[in-house]
Amino acid sequence: MSRIKSPSHAWPPANSSAPPAAARPSLPQRASYVQILVYLAFCLLILAVPLVIDDAFLLNKYARYLALGLAAAALSLSWGYSGILNLGQGVSFGLGAYAIAMHLKLKTSPVHTGAAGLPDFMVWNNVQTLPWFWEPFHSTLFAILAGMLLPVIVASLLGWFMFRARIVGVYVAIITLAMLVVTNLLFIDQQRYTGGFNGLTDLAWLEIGGVEFDPYSPTFYYLTAGCLSVCLLLGLALTRSKAGLILRAIRNDVDRVRFFGYDVAAYQILAFAVSAGMAGVAGMLYAMVLEFASPTFMGVPLSLSMVIWAAVGGRGSLLGATIGAILVNFMQGSLSETFLDTWQLILGALFILVVLFLPNGLASLIDMAGERLGRAPPRARTEEPAAAAPRAMGTFNTKQRG
Amino acid sequence: MTITRRSFIKSTAIAGAAGAVGFPHIWIKDSGLAWAAGNEIKVGVLFSLTGTTAVVEKSLHNATLMAIDEINKAGGINGMKITPVVEDPASDPATFADKANKLVLNDRCVSVFGSYTSASRKAVLPVFEKRKNLYWYPTLYEGRECSKDVMYTGAVPNQQQKDFIPWLVKNHGKKFYLIGSNYIYPKEENNVCKILLQQLGGEVVGEEYVPLGHSEFGSVLNKFRETKPDVIFSTVVGDSVIALHKQYKAAGFTPDKMPMASLTTSEVEIAAMGGEYAAGHYTSAPYFMSHQSPENQKFVENYQKRYGKDAVTHFVSEPAYFQIYLFRQAVEKLGKGDITPINIRDAAGGLEIMAPQGRVKVDPDNLHCYLWPKIAQAQADGQFKVIEQSAEWVKPEPYWAYPGQSCTKDGLKGA
Amino acid sequence: MDIVLGQLFTGLSIGSILLLVALGLAIIYGSMGVINLAHGEFVMLGAYSTWLLQSAFGLPFLACLVLVFFMVAFAGWVVERGVVRFLYYRPLDTILATWGIGIILQQAVRLSAGAELRYVQTPEALAGSIDLLGIAIPSYRLFILAVTAGLLLLTWFLVQHTEFGMKLRAVTQNREMASCYGINSSRVFSLTFAFGSGLAGLAGALVAPIKSVAPDMGTNFVVDAFMVVVVGGVGSLLGTVASSGILGGSTAGLAFLLNDTLAKALVFLAVVVLIRFRPRGLFVDRVRR
Repeated sequence: MSRIKSPSHAWPPANSSAPPAAARPSLPQRASYVQILVYLAFCLLILAVPLVIDDAFLLNKYARYLALGLAAAALSLSWGYSGILNLGQGVSFGLGAYAIAMHLKLKTSPVHTGAAGLPDFMVWNNVQTLPWFWEPFHSTLFAILAGMLLPVIVASLLGWFMFRARIVGVYVAIITLAMLVVTNLLFIDQQRYTGGFNGLTDLAWLEIGGVEFDPYSPTFYYLTAGCLSVCLLLGLALTRSKAGLILRAIRNDVDRVRFFGYDVAAYQILAFAVSAGMAGVAGMLYAMVLEFASPTFMGVPLSLSMVIWAAVGGRGSLLGATIGAILVNFMQGSLSETFLDTWQLILGALFILVVLFLPNGLASLIDMAGERLGRAPPRARTEEPAAAAPRAMGTFNTKQRG
Repeated sequence: MTITRRSFIKSTAIAGAAGAVGFPHIWIKDSGLAWAAGNEIKVGVLFSLTGTTAVVEKSLHNATLMAIDEINKAGGINGMKITPVVEDPASDPATFADKANKLVLNDRCVSVFGSYTSASRKAVLPVFEKRKNLYWYPTLYEGRECSKDVMYTGAVPNQQQKDFIPWLVKNHGKKFYLIGSNYIYPKEENNVCKILLQQLGGEVVGEEYVPLGHSEFGSVLNKFRETKPDVIFSTVVGDSVIALHKQYKAAGFTPDKMPMASLTTSEVEIAAMGGEYAAGHYTSAPYFMSHQSPENQKFVENYQKRYGKDAVTHFVSEPAYFQIYLFRQAVEKLGKGDITPINIRDAAGGLEIMAPQGRVKVDPDNLHCYLWPKIAQAQADGQFKVIEQSAEWVKPEPYWAYPGQSCTKDGLKGA
Repeated sequence: MDIVLGQLFTGLSIGSILLLVALGLAIIYGSMGVINLAHGEFVMLGAYSTWLLQSAFGLPFLACLVLVFFMVAFAGWVVERGVVRFLYYRPLDTILATWGIGIILQQAVRLSAGAELRYVQTPEALAGSIDLLGIAIPSYRLFILAVTAGLLLLTWFLVQHTEFGMKLRAVTQNREMASCYGINSSRVFSLTFAFGSGLAGLAGALVAPIKSVAPDMGTNFVVDAFMVVVVGGVGSLLGTVASSGILGGSTAGLAFLLNDTLAKALVFLAVVVLIRFRPRGLFVDRVRR
C-alpha cells in the first residue's frame, strides 16, 4: 500500500502541461500542479488494486482501511487545515454508520423472532411497532442522505454553538470529547431503538439499482475507493479555494482574520460541517464493510485513534492523513495477535516521537528530504509523492503572507 | 497454531507488498479438501482475553484449550490433530464479528468455539449463517433463537428459571427487583421472569439496567432500600457482578432478608470477589464445581493441575469443555473428505455424552442440549451448595415462554 | 427521609472519588497548562501497584498507599522529563503526546501484569458499614471521603504555605519572569507533575478495592476528571472541590431518578453548555496568564 509506483503515467502530463504558459512556471505553481497530480495518482492507484489482488478477504480488509483513511482525511480537514481539534470525530462517524445500518437492518428479515417487519432486537426489547423515525430508512436514498446530512446538521449546530462563542483550542477538544461520550452513552442506553451495546447486527447488503454490494467483493471495494477518491478531490478543491486559504489563515492567526472583517465562525462551521459529512460517509462505508454498526464506533478510543492516524501521516495534508490511517491499520492488520501487544507499545512510542519531532507527520519527513536535495517537486517522483506537495503548498502560503 | 498464523502473516505480507500473489477464492463453497487439510482440523477459539467479560471468558478459553489438548494427546480425531486458532475479541461485539469473519473466511476453520455474552453471539451469528459455518456456544442464554448454524450447549430459560422462580417465590417472597447489565441477555431473561411472576402472582418492584463494566452501584442500592424487594433477581454480568456484591455487603444488606438470585454468578466471579461477599446468594444452573461424579472429579483435577490449584470450574466452563468432546464424537463419525461444518452439525444431532454434570444429549431438532438444572446457594468458601436438583434431564425449549412458537428442524415455527 | 440521606451520601461518595482523581489533574493543568490524557493511566498504575504490593509482598493497605504515591510520582517525573517538558508551548500537542504515553503505559501493564482483572482486598477494619442517622454507610466510603479531604488540605497547604508552593505560583503566573528571579522553573514543573501523578496514583490505590483493576480502567476516569477540572475553573482548587461536589451530586440524583447512563449523559451535556458560556469554569482564579 505504501509503495506508490505509478509515476510513469502520472508524470508526463505534468511536463507537457508545464511549457506552454510561460517559459518556466514559478515554483508555487508547479507545486500546486504536482499536488493535484499526486492526488489523482493516489486515486488511480487505490482504484487499481482489485486488478492485481484477486482475494475477497484481502479486498474487504483494504476497503476497511480506506474507510478509516477517509475518516482520518475528514479529521485533517478540520484539524490540520482549520485548527479545530475534533476529538469527537466518532459522533459523525457513528451517525453515518447507524444511518446506513438502520436501512440495511430493515432489509433483513428476522428469522428468530417470527415478527416480520420489525428488527429482531426490537422484539426482544418489547417494542411492538416500528418507531416513526425508523420508517423513512426503508428508502435507500433517504438512508444515504441521512448518513451524510445528519452529521453535517449536528456538526453545524455544534459548530454554531461553539464558534459563535469564540471557543477555541483546548475547549473545542473538550467539548467535542464530551459530546462524543454523551452520544455514545445515549446510543447504549436507548437499546429499544438502537440495539444498545449489541449494536445493529445481521445487516443485509446494500443494493443500488440492482447492483448488490457484497462486502467481500471487488464491487464493494470499488465503492469504497470511489467514495474516498471523490471525497479527497472535493476536499482538495475546498482547501485550494479561497475558503481554504481563509481557513488556513484562521488556523495561523484568528484575530488577524477577524480584523480583516471575515466572519471567522462561518468559515469554521463550514470546515467542521464538511469534515463531519466526510466522516459520515466513512462511517457508512465502515458499517457496511464490517456488516455491523456498534456503539464502539463512538467510543473514545476509536476517535482518538483517528487523531493518531492523522497525526502520524500528517495532519496538514488530506492525503497524508489518509495514508497515515491506511499505513497504521495495514501494519496492525498484518501482525499476529501475539505480536499485536508489542505493536501497541511501538505505536504509542511512534506516536510520541511524531508529536515531538514531526508535528506535521511523516509527510514532513519527505519534505525535509526534499529540502535537503534542493528542489522539492522533482523529488516527489520517486518516493511517496503524496505528502510532499501539500507541504509545498504550506510554504507557498507563508510566502504570500509574509 | 503458530505455524498457521505465521503462514497467514507471510501470505498477507506477500500479497500486500507485491500485490500479484493472492489467495485463491478462499471463501468459495465447500470443496471438502480444504476443510481438513493435511493432518489437522482447524477450529477457531474465540473468547475475550481482555475487557469487561474477560474475567469469565478467560476460563472458557482455558477449558476449551484443555479439552483440545486432551483429545490431541489421546491421538486426535481419527488420527488428525485439532489445531486451535486463537483470537481475542476484547469483549467488543464488533470485534467478535470481525474475528469470526477472519476465522471462517481466512483461516478456514471448520467450527468455532466461542462467546460468553449474548451480544457477542448475536454479533457473530450472521457470519456463521451467511457462510454456512458452525459455531459452538457454551453459555447459558436467553433463548428465543433458532439458528441452524449454532450448537448451543448451555442452558436456556426453561432449564434455569422454570424451577428457580417458583422456588424463590415460595421461600423468599413475591416482590422482585430486576437488575441486569444493559444488553440483550438480561432484557430477554427478565421478560421470561416477568411472565413467570405474573403466573405466580408475583410483583416486580423495580427493573434497572446498568452499562457493562459499571462499578458504581450506590444509587441502585438506595433503590433496593426504598423498594424493599424480597428477592433481587440479578442478570448483571462481567466485573460488575463483583462490584455489585461488594457494595451490597458494604451497604449493610444481608442475603437472608434480601438474597440476590442470579443465573450468571458462578464460582469464577466468586473467586474474584472473595467468598464472603457471595455467601448466602442463590444461583440456578446445570453444573456446579462441587458436583459429585467421577467425570467431574477428573475434570476439576485436570483443570487445577493445568491452571493452578486456585482455578475454578463453573457452569459455563463445563459446557466449554464437554462441547469439544461432542465435536470429537461428531467428527469421528465422518470420513475425512466429509468434514464440513454442515456435516458436523448433522452428525452432532442426537449425540449423547457423559459430561461432568451428568449425561447430556444434543436435541436433534433445535441443537440445544438436555441438561440437569440445579438450585444452589453460595458458601463462604467460594463453592455452591446444591439445594434442589432436577430428578431427570430437562429438554431444552428455547421458545418455552412463548406458547405457539417452537424451534424445529426447519427453523422457527409459529409467529 | 433515609432514602434522601442515603442518596446524598452516594452523591458525596461519587463526588469524593471524582475529586480524588481530579485533584492531581487540576494541579497539573492549572499550573502548567498541560492536558494530561495519561492521567487515567497513572490512576491505573496506582491501582496495579497496590495490587502488586498487596498480593506479592503482603503489605497492609495503608502502607501500600504511601509507597504507591511515591512510585507513581516517580513514573510521572520520568514522563515529564522525557516527553511533556518539550511541549509546554504546544498545549494541543500535549493532548496527543500524553495519549501516546497512555497507550504505552496501558500496554506495558498488560504485558507485564496480564490482561485479566485484578482485585484488591478492602482492609478488614473498613469492610463493614456504620450506622449514621439511621442509614448504613459503608465505612470504606467514609474512609475515602476522609482521605480525600486530607489530601485536599495537604495540597492547599503545599501550594499556599510552602516555599515550593510560592515558586509554583510564581512560575504559573509568569514563567519567564520567575526564571529571571532565579527560580528553576523546569524543576518546579517536574516536581509539580510528579506530585499530580502521585495524587493520581493514590486515587487509583483508593478506588482499587471498590472497582476492578484492569489495564484500561483509566480511560473512564480521565474524561470524568477533565470535566470536573474544566467546570471548576482552571487553577482553582476550590473550584475543583465545588465542581466535583456538583457533578457527583447531580450524577447521583439523576441516577436515582432515571438511571446511571442517562445521568452521566445529562451531566456531560450540562458541562458542554457550561463550557460554552463560561469557558474558564465556574470558579476562576483572579490571576491567569
